[in-house]
Amino acid sequence: MSTLLLAAPPTVGLWQGPIRQTTAQPVPVDLALMNSTEHADTLATGDDAETAPELTPAQLAEGSVDVATETAAARRIRFERDAMQYVDQLYSAAMRMARNPSDAEDLVQEAYTKAFSAFHQYRPGTNLKAWLYRILTNTYINLYRKRQREPLQSNSDQVEDWQLARAESHTSRGLRSAEAEAMDHLPDNDVKRALQSIPEEFRLAVYFADVEGFAYKEISEIMNTPIGTVMSRLHRGRKLLRDMLADYAQERGFRANGPDSAGKTATADAQSANTVAASPAVAPVNTVSGTGSNDQEKSK
Amino acid sequence: MSDCRSLGDCDDSRMVRIYEYLDGALSCDDLAEIKQHLDGCPDCAQDYDLECVIRTVVRRSCKEAAPENLKAAILERIHGSRAAQV
Repeated sequence: MSTLLLAAPPTVGLWQGPIRQTTAQPVPVDLALMNSTEHADTLATGDDAETAPELTPAQLAEGSVDVATETAAARRIRFERDAMQYVDQLYSAAMRMARNPSDAEDLVQEAYTKAFSAFHQYRPGTNLKAWLYRILTNTYINLYRKRQREPLQSNSDQVEDWQLARAESHTSRGLRSAEAEAMDHLPDNDVKRALQSIPEEFRLAVYFADVEGFAYKEISEIMNTPIGTVMSRLHRGRKLLRDMLADYAQERGFRANGPDSAGKTATADAQSANTVAASPAVAPVNTVSGTGSNDQEKSK
Repeated sequence: MSDCRSLGDCDDSRMVRIYEYLDGALSCDDLAEIKQHLDGCPDCAQDYDLECVIRTVVRRSCKEAAPENLKAAILERIHGSRAAQV
């Protein structure tokens, strides 16, 4: 049985955002089941507000809109203006979640549809991008991934131990400059492959932090996990990624020129000249079948 | 690694500090401390450089342009959902 590594509950609370919410309406809403929740429309918005006066362009500006009296038409305009600018970014993130462009497209479409349905609950002035990322992540967990029959990385702790053991070998002194140089020249596909090969919850944490630049607190809200868990995932994920990239760099035969690197890289160069496939870096990551018993994060 | 004691007494805690530094998650005092340490410790400075390179490389590699029709498809669904509601 596959394990749900992201360990998110099926329900999603009202987005509090990294910035303090401006009105107090803590109505919990299940984003994943938006269409079937009876309390999703309890806020005085949407069709009920059709007769409210039209907002001026100035009122529509970020932070000044009154979501309680906004008309549906005005909200749609605001959504298109503010939210649609992130399509490329959400698609890039979806590509790190889904395994192919078609699924990533579906995921982004689904997330945007949900976001639009829930947009009256988004607090203007809070971080819209983080709000959208949270919906994307939840959509992925709740909808898309359930459709996937294949388990993803099934037991992160064991995978991690196995990989971290090798990661340690890369921390020896004197290799870094050459490694950095080599990694800088890696083709995009190698980098994507390396990222894809680390366990999912680590991968997403690293992506949110290193690519999108979200703060720990924002990532904890996007992934619905405590900040400590985010930091731990980042730490482990980055180590795994560094290790993978170092392996790819060596496979590519990038030569380390540093005087301290002779022993290690000489071997690596010899190997990479002959074969890439034999490298441990391309061994399947999810070789351990999931009992999932020792993922402490799931039990919370 | 006695020269890196100020960042932590094992490789793990040392890297945690470097990550926090990169993530902008340090207090001003800690920030000054780690900056000073990186200036004087080639090993840690190399680790720091490497992490910077990785970030740059990952950012560069993961930048994808959404398919051209995706935005239109989203807007169509949104408009459709609105039409259904009204």
